Amino acid sequence: MTDNSRVRVSIVGVIVVALFGALVARLWFLEVGSGQTFEIRAEQRAVRVLQTESPRGRILDASGKPLVSNKVVWALTMNRNISPASRDAAFGRLAELLGGKNSPQSLQKRFFDPRQSPLRPAILVLNTPESARVAILEHREDFPGIDVHELTVRTYPQGQLAAQVLGYVGEVNGDELKKLHGYVIGDSIGRAGIEAAYEKVLRGKPRQDTYQVDPTGQPVGEPVKTVPGTVGNDVQLSINIDAQKVAEESLGEAIIKARQRQDKSVKDHYAQFQAPAGSVVALDVQTGGVVAMASFPTYNPANFTGGITQDAWKQLNDPNNHYPLSNRATQGLYAPGSTFKLVTSQASNTNGVRPWGQWITDPGFIIIGADKQKLTDANGEVPGPVDLSRALTVSSDVYFYGIGNDFWNIWNANDKNRGNGIQTTAREFGFGAKTGVELDESQGRVPDEQWKQSFAKLLYKNDKAKLLENSQWFPGDNVNLAVGQGDLVATPLQLADAYAAFANGGDLLHPHVAQTVTTAQGAIVERFGRKTVRHIAFDPGTYSAMMNGFLGAVNNPKGTAYDAFKGFPSLIPVAGKTGTAQVNGKGDTSLFAGFFPANNPKYVVAAVIEQAGFGSEVAAPVVRRVMEQLAGLQPGPLQINNTKTAD
Amino acid sequence: MGVLDAPFPTRARAFPRRRENGEITAARHVDYGLIVLPVLLSLIGLVMIYSSTRLHHGTYYVERQAIAVVIGLVGMFIVMSIDYRKLREFWPLVYVAMLPLLVGVLVLGASRKGAQAWFQIGPLQFEPSEVSKIAVVIAIAGYCHQHRGDLDAWRLAIVVMLAAVPIGLVLLQNDLGSAFVIAVAAVAMLLVSGIRGRHMVVLLLLALSGVIAAVSSGYLAGYRLDRLTTFADNSTNITKNASPTAYNTDMALSAVASGGLTGQGLFHGTQTKLGYVPEQRTDFIFTVVGEELGFVGGAVVILLYALLVWRLFRISLLSSDFFGTLVCMGVLAIVAFQVFENIGMCMKIMPVTGIPLPFMSYGGSSVIATFLAIGLVTNVHMRRFS
Repeated sequence: MTDNSRVRVSIVGVIVVALFGALVARLWFLEVGSGQTFEIRAEQRAVRVLQTESPRGRILDASGKPLVSNKVVWALTMNRNISPASRDAAFGRLAELLGGKNSPQSLQKRFFDPRQSPLRPAILVLNTPESARVAILEHREDFPGIDVHELTVRTYPQGQLAAQVLGYVGEVNGDELKKLHGYVIGDSIGRAGIEAAYEKVLRGKPRQDTYQVDPTGQPVGEPVKTVPGTVGNDVQLSINIDAQKVAEESLGEAIIKARQRQDKSVKDHYAQFQAPAGSVVALDVQTGGVVAMASFPTYNPANFTGGITQDAWKQLNDPNNHYPLSNRATQGLYAPGSTFKLVTSQASNTNGVRPWGQWITDPGFIIIGADKQKLTDANGEVPGPVDLSRALTVSSDVYFYGIGNDFWNIWNANDKNRGNGIQTTAREFGFGAKTGVELDESQGRVPDEQWKQSFAKLLYKNDKAKLLENSQWFPGDNVNLAVGQGDLVATPLQLADAYAAFANGGDLLHPHVAQTVTTAQGAIVERFGRKTVRHIAFDPGTYSAMMNGFLGAVNNPKGTAYDAFKGFPSLIPVAGKTGTAQVNGKGDTSLFAGFFPANNPKYVVAAVIEQAGFGSEVAAPVVRRVMEQLAGLQPGPLQINNTKTAD
Repeated sequence: MGVLDAPFPTRARAFPRRRENGEITAARHVDYGLIVLPVLLSLIGLVMIYSSTRLHHGTYYVERQAIAVVIGLVGMFIVMSIDYRKLREFWPLVYVAMLPLLVGVLVLGASRKGAQAWFQIGPLQFEPSEVSKIAVVIAIAGYCHQHRGDLDAWRLAIVVMLAAVPIGLVLLQNDLGSAFVIAVAAVAMLLVSGIRGRHMVVLLLLALSGVIAAVSSGYLAGYRLDRLTTFADNSTNITKNASPTAYNTDMALSAVASGGLTGQGLFHGTQTKLGYVPEQRTDFIFTVVGEELGFVGGAVVILLYALLVWRLFRISLLSSDFFGTLVCMGVLAIVAFQVFENIGMCMKIMPVTGIPLPFMSYGGSSVIATFLAIGLVTNVHMRRFS
């Protein structure tokens, strides 16, 4: 080889040495020099935390019987990483194996349901029949990527009982995932009732498994790290299963019977009561605990297990079905009618409008206001001489119309504070404000001039004459208010709570459905006891006059609820008040609120039934049966009769 | 270099007796380093291929690669047994035989991942471009040997044509990597052949204008351009929106980088195990070394290649004729460039082109062809005294 060639070959050699040197230098820089940052990033990408929910806590009744508990079902799942071809083949075989409503299409729909986590095997069937489970496990090769494993779901040992109180569980949605911390796709969340109110308590701590994942995000192998979860705590309610059952049965039966009765307020043709809905509330007057809370119509919370079908959801939200999901005991708003006389009586005496001992004559009608409006007692009754007790017993509207009118006159004479006495007392009794119960509730309304003005402003923005006319607080407004009519609305729970405050001597309580939170082992974590919102001071004379009036309504043969309570043991004295509220264009709302034993009150029970007639006819018999159950008696048959006594 | 002056090989070598003696002598002068190093690298390659494929494919790829290594070794010994100097006369035959393969693959070949570069023969794939690299080396070596010291512009043009025809055919297969390799080998051999300085400048200018023409005419559009330019992007942020090539290189880079000094341990590379690096068993096999065996393992592999290249370099100097020198230089250029380009691409200092790492990347054609090339060089070494 010539020297020239040697030089040329050497040039190539030098280039090669330089290139290889560069490789080693780069390798050193990457792996040793600055490797740390790369390493951390590679680590972060390669792992993912999979969160598995722990079983939710149970919901128990006052005696510890489960209302909501958990059961283990066999869930049929399909892996995410199998090929589309073998997936479709498996859908076909599964549909054939499972039969029923399952088609390859329906299984595929479940597989791609966005509510399922893309990181876990998709749940195709929640309740896999035993035969199918065995078939799949025996022929694994025919069902690639298919598995059957245990899954914990909600179960309702008492069926539909207390559905609206308990609420239901659904899968967490996109908005919630953004707002809430610690939830992942596919997690369940309490959607209503106690399930929602005590979500944090019931949910428990999810288990967290850290997996290594491949580039498509699918977990590979066993978890590299596991943080165990904990089962959710139990919530024990003050609800008494037996009383709840009686309340729901009686309410349902009363509504069905009411629908067969003639609505005589419809004069021009024969019509039956619509009675679409109603509710019952029973409270412990000493603790504020809700003992029973029924709302009709109702639904089956088990339909939500594993995701509710669209059809079922549509049904639940169809106006023709009267919204079974809403809890009318806390969300329904009704004019309380004569049951509101509790408030008017107290207001009249604290403001010195008409002392309880003063007798007046009720001729069956009263002329009110400048336009000489004639208002009559219900059903054409002529009660004659009445004092406060008797007015409550026989439900003399004229007695209370007069009080309402007197209050208006005081108000009109510019004694605004005293003139607003009914409203002030109503608010004292908790009307117009949320009770603070754990469940979703409406606020209600106590109308006064201020409210009327702002409401008119909303209604008549551009019509000055109408705005002016409807902004005024007329005598009629105050007179209507005095008998629980007009613009006054309240929830059945507010009504029951107000009567509980009277029954326990003046403590307006914070009603609550939950009593204690306990661990799965039974240790008490939190206790919800009696909580007083405020104390209402009663003048002893007024108090006993009112008590006598409420006792008379039930026990005096002239009392409005006498027929409904005939035969109730006299050793357990019941006191209460019927109510029949007129609703524009609809049948009367039937109401009754009462408590027992009157000498040492323990429970207050209130029933409100829409478009069902007189309070004495439908609501009172329902309350009677619930009281019988609470008093430890065998509840008798529900007696719904046309009574002569009005209101 | 006694034969350098003879325009043609002497007939004396065709005599049977001399040949027998020559063969015996030749067998004594085998460079064992040149056999041990490729075998060692192949074995490391097999382990790395197993590491990157065992979880999903078991021993499938390892078995196929092992068969290729055995075939390659057998082929290498066959090549060693035939006197390379015969090729000095028959290089045109080799060259012409290669062309139908490159044309045929365009017509009959199987298309995969944007390239049409394979013959599908039953379960096997044959990639003619791998063999064409050696054929071009032999052809250029043969021609330059004949016209040594007299490489005027016309002859240079012929050499350029010898390289340009297969480069063009390979480019038509969308195999940019092999085209580069052939070009680099041609340039290295021209350099050693005594190309004049100004010719070299003209050649480089021509190449440059070719590249500019390719970019502006749209041939280097889309993924091709993306591949070539990704390495120049120095950011280390891995984003989902990045182009597939940027994703590849980032995955490769972070796999290599996560090895540290001694690596995560054989079969324990997180990203290797989880399949983060695309094409890992083929073009990105070095990332397995980097992640699982760390700097030490990577440096050892580079060192082994350096030793191999050193042996090739040494033999090119020891060769008894200029043809042997040129063949060695061509093979050296092919091996060295492929090693640098492939490992460099795994570490994001070179653009992504589909160039296999000699002996280690999964792929039978490449392994066999490289063994044949080494066989040729060993051949030169064996017969350096005869």
